[in-house]
Amino acid sequence: MVLAGRTDAFEPLVSPYRRPLLALAWRLTRNAEDAREVAQEALLRAFRSLAGYDASRSFRNWLFQIAANEARDRYRKRARETAAFGDVVERSPCATTGSAAPGPETERDRQEIRSDILRSLAVLSPREREVLVLRDLEELDVAETARTLGCSNLSVRVHLSAARRKLREALRRDFPHLEEGR
Amino acid sequence: MTCRKVRKLMPLFAGDDLGPRRTRAVRSHVDACPACRSELEELREALARIKAAAKEEDVPDWSESEWKALMVRATGETPGSRKGKRSAGARVAWPGWAAASAAGVLIGFVILSVLYRGSMPGPARTASPAVPPELAEAGRAQDVVSLTMVSPETGLQIVWFLDKNFDYKGEQE
Repeated sequence: MVLAGRTDAFEPLVSPYRRPLLALAWRLTRNAEDAREVAQEALLRAFRSLAGYDASRSFRNWLFQIAANEARDRYRKRARETAAFGDVVERSPCATTGSAAPGPETERDRQEIRSDILRSLAVLSPREREVLVLRDLEELDVAETARTLGCSNLSVRVHLSAARRKLREALRRDFPHLEEGR
Repeated sequence: MTCRKVRKLMPLFAGDDLGPRRTRAVRSHVDACPACRSELEELREALARIKAAAKEEDVPDWSESEWKALMVRATGETPGSRKGKRSAGARVAWPGWAAASAAGVLIGFVILSVLYRGSMPGPARTASPAVPPELAEAGRAQDVVSLTMVSPETGLQIVWFLDKNFDYKGEQE
């Protein structure tokens, strides 16, 4: 209907993915402003590229592909302009020991720990993070993750393996009390 | 399978991302090796923590006004003018003959520009007999321009002659 000129049909088409798309952008960028811009640009591009959409694919995964590309472009641009990501890693609480002090956990503490756990995604390379977010957090299978990222299944497996290993190491280093409580 | 090999495959095994043959091999090793089993549990725990944290995390959402504004922007509409403005995604469907004609005109331009440039230092050109006399005069002064349209379907060629002000002067088939 959108392709037939019914532009008002676009909103019902993308509305179900309104939050998932923004959540994906947030997980890839870990920055609210960037996430909004990535998701926004993904929707604009989706509208422009709707004629090229392969209807045999999941629409959600197609939107995710556009968002992942946009997040990667943005990351590369940002990396060229500044070495911001390195700064983020250095500044992030998970990069310093003692960010999550052991002791009785209040709800607020648990929220902070959750937040810090997710900040450990910063130890991953952009590709590792993309693969981990799509496979483990968005629960796409390996083949669909590969398709979304435009790479091979083998590449996804290699990056996924490295990502899980690095995250395990980061959690072991930065949240030792969680490991003790296992 | 050795512990070293199993540890290499462990991250994929922990997320059920190995093929059936390797899965069987790793599982049988892990069942018999307490050290590798402990390693696997730790990996699965880490993965579970990440997934749980992601599920429970407050992710940002659009406000209604932001979302509406985005939809308006995406579909190229402005509030109050839903009809009449062409969408950003709309494409102009050019007929095949239009593209062929444009290509013919372009090729004609290129050929003529090469011919005229090549003859500039030499004596004035002599117009071909088929060219009207006034055009021959214009051609000598090198103030004439011609456009050639070649139809790829019929092979028909039409040459339009224009003066230096691009006013129509005649045509030839």
